[in-house]
Amino acid sequence: MDIAQLIENLLQSLVAGVLTGSTYGLMCVGLTIIFGVMRVINFAQGEFMMLGMYFTYFCVNFLTRQFGLEGIYLPFVVAMLAGPVIYLFGDLLHRGLLNKVSGQQGSKLEAGGHYAQLVLTLGLALLLQNAGLYFFGSTPVSVSTSLSYTAWELGSPEGISVFINQAQSLAAILAVGVVLIFGFLIAKSRLGKSLRAAADNPDAAIYMGIDVERAHRIAFGFGVGITAIGGGLLASYAPFQPYIGTEYVIIMYAGVVLGGLGSIRGAFLGGLSIGILQQVSATLLPNQLQNTVIFVCFLAVILLRPNGFFGKSGRVA
Amino acid sequence: MLKQSGIFSIISATLLTLFFSLISLEISAQAILEPVKVGLIVPLSGPWARPGQVMRVAAELAVEEINEQGGIAALGGAPLELVVYDAGDNVERAKNAAQRMVAEEPDLIGAVGAYLSSFTLAVTEVTERAEVPILTLSYSDLITSRGFNYVFQTSASGAVQSSGALPVLMDMAESASGHRPETIAIIMDNTAASEAFVKPFFETNILEEYGLELVVNEVFTPPLANATSLIQHIRAEQPDLLLLLPTAISDTKLLLEKMNEFRLGRGLIPTISNGAAMGDPDLLSNMPGFLLEGVMSIVANWSTRGQEELIDKFKDVSGEPWMTQHPLSTYGHVWLFKQALEQSSSRDSTVIANTLRNMTLSDGAVNYFPGNSLSFDQTGKRIDAGILVIQWQEGEPITVFPEREALRSILWPGE
Repeated sequence: MDIAQLIENLLQSLVAGVLTGSTYGLMCVGLTIIFGVMRVINFAQGEFMMLGMYFTYFCVNFLTRQFGLEGIYLPFVVAMLAGPVIYLFGDLLHRGLLNKVSGQQGSKLEAGGHYAQLVLTLGLALLLQNAGLYFFGSTPVSVSTSLSYTAWELGSPEGISVFINQAQSLAAILAVGVVLIFGFLIAKSRLGKSLRAAADNPDAAIYMGIDVERAHRIAFGFGVGITAIGGGLLASYAPFQPYIGTEYVIIMYAGVVLGGLGSIRGAFLGGLSIGILQQVSATLLPNQLQNTVIFVCFLAVILLRPNGFFGKSGRVA
Repeated sequence: MLKQSGIFSIISATLLTLFFSLISLEISAQAILEPVKVGLIVPLSGPWARPGQVMRVAAELAVEEINEQGGIAALGGAPLELVVYDAGDNVERAKNAAQRMVAEEPDLIGAVGAYLSSFTLAVTEVTERAEVPILTLSYSDLITSRGFNYVFQTSASGAVQSSGALPVLMDMAESASGHRPETIAIIMDNTAASEAFVKPFFETNILEEYGLELVVNEVFTPPLANATSLIQHIRAEQPDLLLLLPTAISDTKLLLEKMNEFRLGRGLIPTISNGAAMGDPDLLSNMPGFLLEGVMSIVANWSTRGQEELIDKFKDVSGEPWMTQHPLSTYGHVWLFKQALEQSSSRDSTVIANTLRNMTLSDGAVNYFPGNSLSFDQTGKRIDAGILVIQWQEGEPITVFPEREALRSILWPGE
């Protein structure tokens, strides 16, 4: 293989990695908010992503059939709406279920409620998967947009050209936008301050008049809502079925741990790194080793920096 | 007095004889008209539920037609009855279903199943012990290489398909484009079906024999997150033939969309796949049909010339846009059992198995499989099982090879 070809292959995989990784990053941010504020490891996070995908799919079909709304950007608009809808669902789940095993009530249980949280979120994952199978069927579906199979071509006089997928590019821009807006909200708003306070020291936050249970509920809603937006964006170029959450939840955890549990910036960069590693390794190594490379790097980071790149205990920022 | 009692005895004896004769006649008539049970063991839940349900529709259609035509004539017109078992979503469940089937239905004369090769391998371990013959479309070479007596494979196995397909593809390429392909690329997932298909390419020197240089050999673990690196290799090497062997719809979509994005799709590189996955109707609900135009697939069975009436009927009953190899073969398998029952005049599953092994069909059920005759060797493998090539043309996968069975002519990409 000549040098120009090698450069082209690497550039192409780098572009694919950045685009894929941006959506991963957004999903990781959702997961890290829940861990950072509530100290809950949510094994059902992949299923909230799946719900975001199906929400986008059904809404796009409904709007197209009932109102004749069409357009290549419609799936992206609908994907953003998945956030608030799944936020409300998360809010209800927290009030009805998670509230009982986390926060003040969780601290009364064995191991601070962690065992119960583990069983509850795993059960929730299975429940959502099987409900998805029952209601949506097992056949993979896709959100229709011509952007998923069209690309911009960037060429150079040396004959090197790189294709940039249009659907993935738009998804990546929106993912970065959501992360920036959310980061700003956490850093600058009163709500963000209360979330950070509830994460840093729940007891002190209570003394300061912060409703920690409400903060946990909001964090859970934000966490699942943001991951659902990531799912909706992913749905614009990848097919899915009710079990898809299982495939992505591992990537989300790897990204969050790489970046540092509880850190928004770290989670996004962790997810981005996973995307880049996944794509670049496939160019240099056999394709089957794609996920192996991710987990070798993951283990290396765990060994060298147990808190990840940006992680600090009890941090949400 | 004695004379009177003698007459009375004779009358009584005659009446008793008549009575018992009538009872025995009734009992034997009931036995003859007792339904003949055929099992169907396919996935009806989990990720493969849809193809399983379509196979069930085809089996029910065949049973309905057979019963409408008078059932099994050799058994006094006994009707066929389909007993259905759900093979589920994993090998263990498929095996459990087979165990339930043979335990609950001791008078089963045979069964059809079990969709995936891995399921068929597990199910046939049970049916072999129970001495129940099973007819299958599954491709794996292992199915008939274990010395089993009660399994019959009506399809060409994976290895036979690939070694049989290569000369066909070379000839088709040469006659259509004027030159023989010199380079070939393989992109495949690491499932058993894909591995079995490419095995002869790596274990024999078949590629060298046909003057083909393997320029890309990429294996991926499904599901793909992104097909960029795979298709970038194709773009860099520009092979004359591309063997694209995904088995999941999601991977097929990502690969074909990426080919289009990289300006390699829509017939620029002749793309050949294997199996029914590339002709699945669900592909059209995941991607626009024009991205599939020209893509070919090597299959063990598909709709061919002369089956138009059946296809229309199946489409009406099932609502499917076309009949893929799975429902077609399942339909044919039920008719194959009907012919074995007619030939053997027996409800004994071992007799049915022997009949299947020894019969040579040139009409009837053979019409639902490629080739002009149908017979099995001692291992249960179909003798001279042929292959078909299908190609996406105008939004539908159509049989284009062999010519005698083709519904349309092949359109070689780049022609």
